[in-house]
Amino acid sequence: MTLIWGGLALGAIYAIVAIGYNIVFISSKTFNFAHAQLTMVGAFVAYTGLVTWDLPTPVVLVMAAAAVALIAAVEERIAIRPVGDMHNILVTTLGASILLDGAAQLTWGSQPLTVPFFAGDDAISLLGGRAYPVELFLIAIAVLLVVGLGIYARRSLTGLALLAMAEDREAALLRGVNVRRLAFTAFVAAGALAGFVGLFVGSKTFAVSTLGAALALKGFVVLAIGGFGSMPGTLVGGAMVGLAEAYASRYLGGEYANLAVFVILVTILMVRPAGLFVRTKERVV
Amino acid sequence: MAALPLARRVAGGPLWVVPLALGIVLILVPHFDLEYSIVRQLQLAMILSLLVSGLNLSLGYAGELALGQVAMYAAGAYTAGMLSQRGHTDILLQLAAAGLAALLVGIVTGIPGLRLGSWSLAMTSFFLVLLLPDVLAIFREDTGGRNGLTGILSPTLFGRMLTPEDYFMVIAVVTVAWFAVMRNIAVSRHGTALRVLKKSPVLASSMGINVFRMKLLAYALGAVPAGLAGALFASLDLYISPEAFSFTVATTILAASVLGGSASVYGAIFGAFVLQFGLNQSTDFQRYSLVVTGAFLILGGVLLTGGLSGLARALWRRLTIPADPAAPADSAGAAGRSARPDDVPAVPGKVLRVEGVTKAFGGNQALKGVDLTASPGRVTALIGPNGSGKTTLLNMICGFYRTDAGVIALDDRQLQRMRPDRVARTGVARTFQTPNIPEGITVREAVMAGRYSGHRVSVLEAVLRLPRYRRVRRADLAEADRVLDLVGIRHLEDAEATALPLGQRRLLEVARCLISNPGVLLLDETASGLDEDEVERLAEVIRRVRDAGGTVVLVEHNFQLVLSLADEIVALAHGELMARGTPEEIQNDERVMSEYLGVDLDAPASARVVLADVAPPQEGAGR
Repeated sequence: MTLIWGGLALGAIYAIVAIGYNIVFISSKTFNFAHAQLTMVGAFVAYTGLVTWDLPTPVVLVMAAAAVALIAAVEERIAIRPVGDMHNILVTTLGASILLDGAAQLTWGSQPLTVPFFAGDDAISLLGGRAYPVELFLIAIAVLLVVGLGIYARRSLTGLALLAMAEDREAALLRGVNVRRLAFTAFVAAGALAGFVGLFVGSKTFAVSTLGAALALKGFVVLAIGGFGSMPGTLVGGAMVGLAEAYASRYLGGEYANLAVFVILVTILMVRPAGLFVRTKERVV
Repeated sequence: MAALPLARRVAGGPLWVVPLALGIVLILVPHFDLEYSIVRQLQLAMILSLLVSGLNLSLGYAGELALGQVAMYAAGAYTAGMLSQRGHTDILLQLAAAGLAALLVGIVTGIPGLRLGSWSLAMTSFFLVLLLPDVLAIFREDTGGRNGLTGILSPTLFGRMLTPEDYFMVIAVVTVAWFAVMRNIAVSRHGTALRVLKKSPVLASSMGINVFRMKLLAYALGAVPAGLAGALFASLDLYISPEAFSFTVATTILAASVLGGSASVYGAIFGAFVLQFGLNQSTDFQRYSLVVTGAFLILGGVLLTGGLSGLARALWRRLTIPADPAAPADSAGAAGRSARPDDVPAVPGKVLRVEGVTKAFGGNQALKGVDLTASPGRVTALIGPNGSGKTTLLNMICGFYRTDAGVIALDDRQLQRMRPDRVARTGVARTFQTPNIPEGITVREAVMAGRYSGHRVSVLEAVLRLPRYRRVRRADLAEADRVLDLVGIRHLEDAEATALPLGQRRLLEVARCLISNPGVLLLDETASGLDEDEVERLAEVIRRVRDAGGTVVLVEHNFQLVLSLADEIVALAHGELMARGTPEEIQNDERVMSEYLGVDLDAPASARVVLADVAPPQEGAGR
């Protein structure tokens, strides 16, 4: 059970990254390669706030969210808005992710930094296993995000506009939805979310400049399993990836963890290329 | 301006002479007595350019971002290194084995990666790079794990030990040879087909190209130079470790590709040399390399869509292409020449049968049992208000949608279960409402692409320029001339296809369909947006195709054009057949009048007479 808690917590991190991908994907049909790096920057900012400046946790959470939202806003303006087609966006957001990796390395060095967690580091017994508080928080955040965003999308006007935009951008535009501003807002909101969870993620994984690349990949695998745009899919995908990774490294050895995830990815792509929770749409000319 | 005539003269000769000369200079570098550090940088730059060139095939030509070049590079390097450890030091053997190993990695990882479209290949191949140290650690017995592979022996060629100078020449020869191969692929019909694919998978499959297989071809073929580069690298330092295959290398390759221009052959060399010599020099840069590479990719993606080679090409064009005024004179001559209807050879049309075709999208019943027959030598027009199911029907015939029920057949072959590319190969050719024409190719090439799937030539035959390739190429050229004459834009065959005005792009699409000798020609709102002259020209082309025995299905809103062209008109409404008959019958059909043309039948008779002259029905109804 200890292993399961650990795996689920890891999966929750990947799911949270995948949720970020999804918010951007739903609102602008683009894939922000750099989203995982935004989470990584959130973890670093949390470290600086908590350790270097010794600020209280709530302040640090707000600070990280604001800082990363700002970075996301800048990224949208320089790496996404001016770019016409999707292939180039892939290149420019990849560029943004590499740039963030490099900037993080220059600012915070390449040694892993421990981000302290406010609820302590003492493991608690739960359902026959031991789990750290941060792990339970991560799982709770992932679930709450999916439920909350689901309700938000259906109940609020902005949420409905987002869904309308995802369905048909032009139709939404004609209906008076400011598509560009909404997409921008969603992008920045995804950034704020990434910054906010950085503290929790960093507490579990350390803040380190290679975190972004690993999160980016696993987050993508989660999306591939759950299906692009599916929020509940991220939870299932996250659980699968996290558990597979935990079990593989426990029973086969550390070098098999990534390999196990890769095997899952390849299997999913071969068997259900659109993911488990998305129905394939027919192509339109 | 003195450069002008010279540039034009050079452009007149075979252009590959220039890179070949540079290649020979490169091979002879060991005789120039250069400093060791420069020689080494040159070697690394050549290896990098091989890697970049492989990426260009998938990113620039097929339009798929892949980051896995590094994994294939590693596959090649470790294959060669392990062979060498075991005493197989012949460099040719190592190159062959490394190329094969890389190709294998390419095929195995490309198959799942290409299933989901653009992001999934980028991610699976990125994943591959991340997995590399793990895989090497798992097989540490053979690979040395994180400590690297040692004990690689000096390379030999036919039993002779290679000196460093010899080895430099080996690298240079391999590089030059690969770029010759790459160039031959890029300018062949396969290069054009890849550009079609990059432009639009829908277009590619409607031209009979199997999208998945084509993408896999580009990605797997791009693995070969990476494998070669790996083998060359292994025998260069006689030591390899996982660090040489890190993600940083992957981003350097990508940056070099974007810098040089992904959709070019020689841009790879340029990008690789700039990055190798310019940026990787100072240790200061090493610290900032990620930041710089990242910033560069953003900038490159935003500004330099064609890379530096794109800029160079634009400049070259300005130098070599004579000023415009000559064009109109040509066009007059060509129009006169192509006006002779007797040089139109027979177009062997087939019978298209649609019976009881039904289609629902969720709760929306788009088609409810539609029948239609289009015969050779006749123009069958499909009309109806927006949302009546015309385009849906067209897409079902082409295989883009699955039928819920009903039969679609061309002569005796049923099409309704086929994938779009097979439907196209069976003989269905179509045009698009918005002309769909790939970038960076001439009108002639764009039209020739229509023969890609009907008259096959393997990549190997194209690379080696074997007789069959030459034969098909000659036929491609002759046929392109013929169909371009037929539609009357032959005088434009050397112009850039996407630069044509709308009317001529429409005609180009028709020509591209005709060159494949289609059993049926589907024209999707071909006349919309054209001026009167262009519509008349288009009508003339359609008449010629019909008179030559072609089967033409015309989806059209221009009622006047439909009346003047069609032998039979089928009118749809709400997914059902509303009326069918000759133009006269349809013109007097009450339902067509009220539902499609929006004419009030109770209005005074004079109003209805006027209507026949009002061409686009929507406008008529709006006033």
